[in-house]
Amino acid sequence: MLILSYLHRNIWRNPLRVLMTGLAVGLPITIFVLSVAVVDGINRFLDNSARQLRLAITHKSSIVYPLPAGYRGKIEALDHSRPITVCAMRWIGGKVEDKPQPLSTLAADPDTFPATFPEYLTDPAERAAWERDRQAIVVGRGTAAQFGWRVGDRITIRASVPPYSAIPFHVVSTAQDVVDPVTLFCRGDYLEEEIKRQGYPEGLVSFFFAKCRSSDDLEFYRTAIDAHFANTPDPTLTQDEKAFMSQFIAQQFDLPRNLTILSALTVVVAIIAAANTMSMNFRDRLAEYAALKALGFGRALVFALIQFESLAICVSAGALGALGPWYAFTYTPLRRFTVPLIQSLDVRLAVCAQAVGIAAAVGLIAAAWPVWLAARLRPVVAFRALE
Amino acid sequence: MALPLVYHWRNVFVRPTTTTLTILVVAAVVGLLGWILGFAAALRGSLAVASDTHKIIVIRRGSTSEGTSALPPAEFNKLSQVTGVARDPQTGRPLVSPEMTVQVALPRKRDAGRTTANVAVRGVDPERAFAVHRNVRLQGPVFATGAQEIIVGVKAAEQFAGLRLGDVVNLGFGNDRGYRVVGYFTADGGPLESEIWGYLPSLMNAYSRNAYSSAALRVAPDEDPQKVIEQIEGPAIQLTAKTEAAYWHEQLRLVRGYLVIVTGLVLIMSVAAVCSIANTMFSAVAGRTREIAMLRTIGFGRGRILVGFVLEAVLLALLGGGLGCGLCLAWLQFVGRTKDMLGASSFTTLAFEIRLTPMIAAVALAAVVLVGALGALVPAWRAARVQAVSALREG
Repeated sequence: MLILSYLHRNIWRNPLRVLMTGLAVGLPITIFVLSVAVVDGINRFLDNSARQLRLAITHKSSIVYPLPAGYRGKIEALDHSRPITVCAMRWIGGKVEDKPQPLSTLAADPDTFPATFPEYLTDPAERAAWERDRQAIVVGRGTAAQFGWRVGDRITIRASVPPYSAIPFHVVSTAQDVVDPVTLFCRGDYLEEEIKRQGYPEGLVSFFFAKCRSSDDLEFYRTAIDAHFANTPDPTLTQDEKAFMSQFIAQQFDLPRNLTILSALTVVVAIIAAANTMSMNFRDRLAEYAALKALGFGRALVFALIQFESLAICVSAGALGALGPWYAFTYTPLRRFTVPLIQSLDVRLAVCAQAVGIAAAVGLIAAAWPVWLAARLRPVVAFRALE
Repeated sequence: MALPLVYHWRNVFVRPTTTTLTILVVAAVVGLLGWILGFAAALRGSLAVASDTHKIIVIRRGSTSEGTSALPPAEFNKLSQVTGVARDPQTGRPLVSPEMTVQVALPRKRDAGRTTANVAVRGVDPERAFAVHRNVRLQGPVFATGAQEIIVGVKAAEQFAGLRLGDVVNLGFGNDRGYRVVGYFTADGGPLESEIWGYLPSLMNAYSRNAYSSAALRVAPDEDPQKVIEQIEGPAIQLTAKTEAAYWHEQLRLVRGYLVIVTGLVLIMSVAAVCSIANTMFSAVAGRTREIAMLRTIGFGRGRILVGFVLEAVLLALLGGGLGCGLCLAWLQFVGRTKDMLGASSFTTLAFEIRLTPMIAAVALAAVVLVGALGALVPAWRAARVQAVSALREG
């Protein structure tokens, strides 16, 4: 009991120093949490892609070259013993008139889209609306929230590529349970009509997505499709969905890598700042530790005193530093803050817990040097050194 | 008389552990700040030289970039009606340059070709393009119109493999037409330096295109570019026109967003550094109460002691700042200084080179002086308030 009270008083002996140390440890932990949350979001996005057993088939030379729409039938006919669902996608990008933000709209084959992307249109009513209404469009939840669109709204999007026209759509779903919050899907047959009306070449596709039944089939089609089209004027490049998505992320500021470096650096800063405090504390209390030892208290007590204080400061500061962003991005208007690519920043408690664990490690490491000095402290020498 | 500087200099080294640790915290923050400032400067540099106010980029209405735009010759010809366009002094032709932008995937040098970047390939007509893009300067010959030749922007040549003089780059729809690199060009550090240029008809043929992508036009020196833009966007022509600066500003929207976020993070880090310095200085003041009392007794005023301690913290911070800049330089030197960015909607890559210029180092060090001074203010105030008599008696 006495010890506990001693520990408690120890921490608050120099409140200003504790506060400063708390800030110097807590703020880097805040940055750590924010960086890791973004990386975590990107990884979950990619992991979700990896689980989908989907292949992306693009033109071999570049993603911007179109493929003939007729490839769908050829891919489906490659091996009848391995059923595959192929959905053609035509990228039209798009913009809402007078809004600067570019959209990411894809026109999909209406018949195979629900089977290729089973995570969309799970609600039977939405699915029925997609099948019935040629102007149907599925809007990612992040984009929908940003523009205030709801199911049933009529919206107009101007395509960034041919047909370049302003096209009216009906929102049939805002894809609430889907990992990707930004992409919009409209019906390819409707777009094709518009392309025909504006006089642009028909029957072209930006890329195909193909849903396989098993990972064995996926491996088979990964090579079989490219081999089949190798000697045509439009050779293909087939990748699994994760590899396909990763190439976009690598181009975006190299975000995962840079944020990982940043978070590592913040942890180092926190360790140094905490170590600084602990070594100052140790110097100030040298006489005390010497006295404790002279009275017969062993190394264990001195060790525990220093280590506990360091841990207590770092873990509390770390917890505050980690829960700050969690609260801010869960309960305040900041949750509308949009991060490119993953759209909404979701600071998960698991990430916060990880940060608190790191803070504890910071506390342990920061006290290592004073603890070592204390263990070697010889009371006689210490007393003699005092003025 | 102020306290001699050497007094503070020596004091910095009285407590080596604390001093070293504080210097390391400051160094980490300054190193990061230097990197980010360098990046921001590279980005701003690209935008600044792209701000030729009399150069206008014309794209298809509705498209968001040159890469997604298509401008059939019929549409392009409408631009001849526009008034206020500069004319070629010899031929008298209006300076409107038809251009086609495609891209080619080239391996990045910095990861030894493990990943590729989409590099823009621009087909131009040399007679008009160089008069419109005035900042483009050739280093060596221009591509011949009768052969499959290209010239390469210096930034693209630095960052992407296979672009040395004499190298052959496979272009064309089927990636089967070899174009030989015959020369380089600069563009005052602007975005065009990340591109590859070739002869327009030859490239259109290679990519089996019959439409241009965009047009660049030069406004006559005494005309208002805004008036020209209004004509182009008006009912007679109905295309989208932007000054070069506005165009690139939009393309780099995402990157600027990232920079704002990262700068915010560095500011938070700076607060942590301020706290760390404050801690060190509090401890220094507390440990030297008697010494300060002594200084007061022999006639040093409060103001001088305050200034002295702030100075001491600034010395500490500068040491950290110097180390931080050194670390940043070393990082850029050994880990890499090149970066490339994808335009907002163009799918093409813009290459950057991050440099820690003396100017940036100076800004980072100025920030560090501020951090040091802020951190020392309260402890120095406390030092100045030391009651000489009681402090001496207590000791």
